[in-house]
Amino acid sequence: MRLSTLVALGLPFLLAGCGQMPGEPHSPPVPPEQVTDFATLYARNCQACHGTGGQNGPAMDLANPEFQALVDDNTLRTIISDGLPGTQMPAWAQSAGGMLTDQQISAIIGGMRRNWAKPDAFGGATPPAFEQPKGGDANHGRQVYQARCAGCHSGPKRQQLTSPVYLSLVSDQALRSIILAGRPDIGQPDWRMQTPQTSGPPLAPQDVTDVVAYLGSLRNPDVVSAAPTPMPSPRR
Amino acid sequence: MSRMKRIYDWFEQRLQIEGPVREAVLHKVPRNTASWWYVFGSAAFTLLILQVVTGILLALVYVPSAAQAWESLNVLNHQIPLGWFLRAVHAWGSNFMVAVVFIHMAQVFLFGAYKFPRELTWTVGVFLLLLTLGMAFSGQVLRFDQDAYWGLGIGVFIMARVPLIGGQLVHLLLGGPIIAGATLSRFFTLHVFIIPGTLLFLAAVHIWMVLKLGVNEWPMPGRVVHRETYIAEYNKLAHDDGIPFVPGAFWKDLVFSGAVLAAVFVCALVLGPSGPGGQPDPSIIQTVPKPDFPFLWIYSVLSFLPPSLETPFILIAPIAMIAGLLAVPFVASEGEKSWHRRPVAVLALTTVAVAWAVFTHLGMYTPWSPHMNAWSGDPIPVRYLREATPLVRQGAVIFESKQCRNCHQIGGHGGERGPALDDIATRMTPDQMRFKVVTGGGNMPAFGKNLSPPEIEALVAFLETLHPANEPPAADAAQRAIETGGGAPPPVGGHSY
Repeated sequence: MRLSTLVALGLPFLLAGCGQMPGEPHSPPVPPEQVTDFATLYARNCQACHGTGGQNGPAMDLANPEFQALVDDNTLRTIISDGLPGTQMPAWAQSAGGMLTDQQISAIIGGMRRNWAKPDAFGGATPPAFEQPKGGDANHGRQVYQARCAGCHSGPKRQQLTSPVYLSLVSDQALRSIILAGRPDIGQPDWRMQTPQTSGPPLAPQDVTDVVAYLGSLRNPDVVSAAPTPMPSPRR
Repeated sequence: MSRMKRIYDWFEQRLQIEGPVREAVLHKVPRNTASWWYVFGSAAFTLLILQVVTGILLALVYVPSAAQAWESLNVLNHQIPLGWFLRAVHAWGSNFMVAVVFIHMAQVFLFGAYKFPRELTWTVGVFLLLLTLGMAFSGQVLRFDQDAYWGLGIGVFIMARVPLIGGQLVHLLLGGPIIAGATLSRFFTLHVFIIPGTLLFLAAVHIWMVLKLGVNEWPMPGRVVHRETYIAEYNKLAHDDGIPFVPGAFWKDLVFSGAVLAAVFVCALVLGPSGPGGQPDPSIIQTVPKPDFPFLWIYSVLSFLPPSLETPFILIAPIAMIAGLLAVPFVASEGEKSWHRRPVAVLALTTVAVAWAVFTHLGMYTPWSPHMNAWSGDPIPVRYLREATPLVRQGAVIFESKQCRNCHQIGGHGGERGPALDDIATRMTPDQMRFKVVTGGGNMPAFGKNLSPPEIEALVAFLETLHPANEPPAADAAQRAIETGGGAPPPVGGHSY
């Protein structure tokens, strides 16, 4: 047999032996419950609302180091496992009817911390507590809102923040989270209110609580019942 | 040399095979028949041999038990050197074989090669086609993964609809009432013994008839087949303007078969083996099972059938198709062979080919199936949120969390069951959107009871923003006329439905 024939016949096998062929399968399929790779879990379960890479989504940006610093592991686990009542955040734990195991939720928390948390996220400042306390002075909150928030949140569209339609879709805790951590991806400042458009001292812890209480007081479901009433549907 | 000759003569004296072989090899075929169009049959046989060889090698490792089959395929893929390549060659060999068999059949049909005296060759060919598809299906089952499990489930449901004996048929096929260990043993037996045995036997009969009856002459308009005169005409043609089959025509068969084998190897190296996909565990519901390539069209057809037509179609269509194929040489055993004079045949083949291609293409991306993970995995394009108000952002969250995305694409991602909504605001006014979301209609369910009024408002606020920057959103002309105090409304792009 001539050398060229030998080479031609053996070539596929030689090539295949390199372990570099594009067709060679990489790893056996992993059952969905055993996936613990953060990137995969985040891409499958979280990024639709929280955005690719944890930012620029419609919901809270998780890649904000301040948010990561404000929320401790247990709170994060509770929110992911059981959902956040009063918002669209659903429950993900299997124990609560979701699809994720506790190990997978741990992997998501660990991955967020690894990728998005930073030491000393507040640059030495102490933020107000993460959890919204009970009570709060809505009247004082209204004054704070007018003085500190209305500058940006004004105009027919921006005022949606105070509309009961919007407020009935976000809980007090969600409002507090975004006031405290801000959303650097869309230009919303944190509680220190330092942006090109805003200035002045940081919001005091009581201010934050009161602004949330004020917005909460505007949340009156009766006002929105003017929306269309469900009708019997003409099914095909 | 003389010793070799003596050994040869010893065998030849007993086997007496030289004469028949010489006759088969040197028999004359019409010169035009030595065409590149006549190479598909031999390529199909070459692929069959490839499948037998790779199949035997696979059977050395494969364990036909429900508990270990999936695992043994992963062993082949990941632990045995070149095991993945062997699986890939077998899988691609299968795809090529189905394709080549279909092309061969189409070519024979188009060239009128099934006409007298080759009716039986065609009939046997139809059974060879069915057996090839049987090999493809049973092979898919042996790749005992999620696709195999659910594909078999659908096959079983189809069988169960046979009147009276449906239940017994299912029992026979599965070796019990459910898909279990006995099922895999049965399909192993089918795939390894029963179907290939029959296939090889019928292929031999098929080739025997090709040798005995001669390769079909090149169809010429006006050269009409008559039962009384055809054989004499063919023999004259082969005698007057013929060349020996080997090497005259055979070298093209060899070259094409070699090219097909090379294509199988390249596909195997580059595209790899088929699966195994996820474990065949019915409790894992995060799966989108799909049949293999040859059966995608059935998958599409079944998806589009209205429920009331399913059973009649499932029971009648396969029988009608097979009967139609078998009837072809008996309905038209004489007459013109040339496609220039057979418009019905050409149209029929074109229609079947286009329908098959369309259904297969649809089966590849299944627009009728919601994408069940879109709501949690497909992000809203950032450009749609750049100017978004808080309410619009909430609307976008609701669009995802209420799983609108599973049926409606945005930015090219999401389900395709409903229309893409990237420019929905140019087609519907906010009132029309509210009405549609609440009441549904067409293919869309009513979501009035699943969404609170604020949720609907937020959703509509988001949808209202979905229009190109240079195209105004749809407006309610009557409303505008009232607001501006009458007068004819200006024409506005968009329509309502």
